[in-house]
Amino acid sequence: MNFDYLKQKRILLVDDEQELLDMVVSILNEDGFQNIKTAKTVKEAIAVSEVYQPEFAILDVMLPDGNGFDLMERLKKAADYPVLFLTARGEDDDKFRGFGLGADDYMVKPFLPKELLFRVSAILRRSYKSENPLVKLHNSEIDFERAEVIKNGEHLALTAKEHDILTALYRNAGRIVTIDALCEAAWGDNPFGYENSLMAHIRRIREKIEARPSQPVSLITIKGLGYKLVVEGK
Amino acid sequence: MKSVPKLIRRFVGIMLLSSVLLIILNFALLGTYMLKQAPNGSPWTTAQKVADHLYQNENGYVLGEDTAIELQNTNAWAIFIDNTTMKVIWQTDNLPETVPMSYTVSDVASLTRGYIDGYPTFTGEAESGLVVLGYPKDSFWKHMWPSWDYNFIANLPKTVLSVLAINIALIFIIYVIANSKLLKSVKPIVGGIQALSTNEEVHIREKGLLSELAININKTSDILQTQSTQLRKRETARANWIAGVSHDIRTPLSMVMGYAGQLESDMQLSEDNRKKAAVIVKQSNRMRNLINDLNLASKLEYNMQPINPEKQNLIAVIRQVVVDFINMNIDEKYTIEWETDESLTSCPVYIDKDLIKRAVSNLIQNSMNHNEQGCHIVVRVMAEDNIYTVVVADDGMGATDEQIEKLNYSPHYMVCDEKTSEQRHGLGLLIVKQIVFAHSGKMLIKHSEYGGFEVDLSLPMTM
Repeated sequence: MNFDYLKQKRILLVDDEQELLDMVVSILNEDGFQNIKTAKTVKEAIAVSEVYQPEFAILDVMLPDGNGFDLMERLKKAADYPVLFLTARGEDDDKFRGFGLGADDYMVKPFLPKELLFRVSAILRRSYKSENPLVKLHNSEIDFERAEVIKNGEHLALTAKEHDILTALYRNAGRIVTIDALCEAAWGDNPFGYENSLMAHIRRIREKIEARPSQPVSLITIKGLGYKLVVEGK
Repeated sequence: MKSVPKLIRRFVGIMLLSSVLLIILNFALLGTYMLKQAPNGSPWTTAQKVADHLYQNENGYVLGEDTAIELQNTNAWAIFIDNTTMKVIWQTDNLPETVPMSYTVSDVASLTRGYIDGYPTFTGEAESGLVVLGYPKDSFWKHMWPSWDYNFIANLPKTVLSVLAINIALIFIIYVIANSKLLKSVKPIVGGIQALSTNEEVHIREKGLLSELAININKTSDILQTQSTQLRKRETARANWIAGVSHDIRTPLSMVMGYAGQLESDMQLSEDNRKKAAVIVKQSNRMRNLINDLNLASKLEYNMQPINPEKQNLIAVIRQVVVDFINMNIDEKYTIEWETDESLTSCPVYIDKDLIKRAVSNLIQNSMNHNEQGCHIVVRVMAEDNIYTVVVADDGMGATDEQIEKLNYSPHYMVCDEKTSEQRHGLGLLIVKQIVFAHSGKMLIKHSEYGGFEVDLSLPMTM
């Protein structure tokens, strides 16, 4: 699946250190992100966002004229878009405060370029769905919008639970999702004792997406741990 | 304050016991005193004895010699009044002159009850008359009207017992009132001392019987509070210092890591230079872990890390840690295996999820750090005897018995308060230990069955 459209998103980057701004811009540029504007203060950030209308913001928590949490509140009043906090304050209460106000993710400095890029892509993918709703698998395609699987030209409807499970797997495509996380995605909090139901749903999903459900190539079991969805081109 | 009712019971017990003992003692003393005060026995018996030993012979009446001597010794006199003539027909030699020699019936009744001319008299019946014994004046006091109401005598045991009971109750009430005041002043003192032992702040009213003690307890409390505040201040300062330093290092290190990471994957650089960049990335990563560990370790050590335990499924938590490692695309040299019994699906525990995840991540990371050549890591959760055990074991280089002994028992430099070369370095395992301790669990380091290193974390089950 092609995520190039995400690289066109307008990004606002706020940090009080010029050198850090330069570095993050260079990391993002290198990965193909083109539209980036930076600001060093709350005041500047608000001014820039009014003109630039960003679609994604990366904010530092400690700024010379205020803090990132308040800045996020003010930015989100104008337009709702995803926010990633980037900060040297690793304390837990900051973290909760950030998430409580609607931050999408939180990264503590220092970080590796690939960690930053992974999180940015994940947030953007979650927030901005592809114009092309079809997810290509080895033997079929999933249309999440219409909750159906297209296999050999045949349209197979997904149940609500199957859709929830596949969504959770697709969000982490190529990575293992634990049994517990999938149960939580399908049955909500406190998902004790749903392991057997999950196995039944996985079997039914495989019947829909796999050519040979007994030898799956797209929805792989990782014994004792969870499942992995293999998406073409990813 | 369990000790106060016990104290009251003890007081009352002693009081009742002492009352009973006092009564017994009184009776015993009275008995001995009476025996001592009346050594000559009962005068009525003596009178009867005289009557029995008075014999009639041809010369008249004669008293037995022993009885006569007994009378002489007590200075008593005796007369014998004949039944028919009502006259004295025998008498002792020491009979006072004022004693009449003939009697009427009313005289006999009067002398039986009381006195003849001030001499206390006692009677004994003989065959044909009456023997009258007279003792010196003021040697006996006689009760002239010795009669009681029958009911009074019949109820006497009950009456005595009731009086006794009333007395005891009265003593008890007096005792309780007297003691309650003392207890009242003791109570806050006891409470204060108990609170002192738990390091609570104590302030007792400095009034009453034991005000001096109260003043001293308050002073002690003030001293303890000041000391613990100062200690707390110093610990907070140290933890803040560490937090501050680690915060200030984060931004510069971001720059090092960021650019080194870019250079590492810059295809325009020679492979040699890319390798150099990879070393910088790796080493700055180590520094990052160290900063994170140092901060958490100091907070845990000084109890500044909030622990938020919630009901969690331990299996789910540990499974997520393992999956996160696998998803991170770690070096192929390292393989992680989940070896938990599949029938064990739910392990409810009260834990701070993030901290326990951190502990298990540290153990897995530890296995990797110490096995540069690569290793196979096995993670397992077991349930046994109300305890869940998380095992992280590897087949790597392992450690010697001596090293394991040291890891289990010698202090870490962060918690060591003495200058010694026996301290340990490296924060990874210290944090694991601190986290497990904060969850009332245990950490055990040993040789793994796969030939390498193993750490077992035991956590209590939620009932």
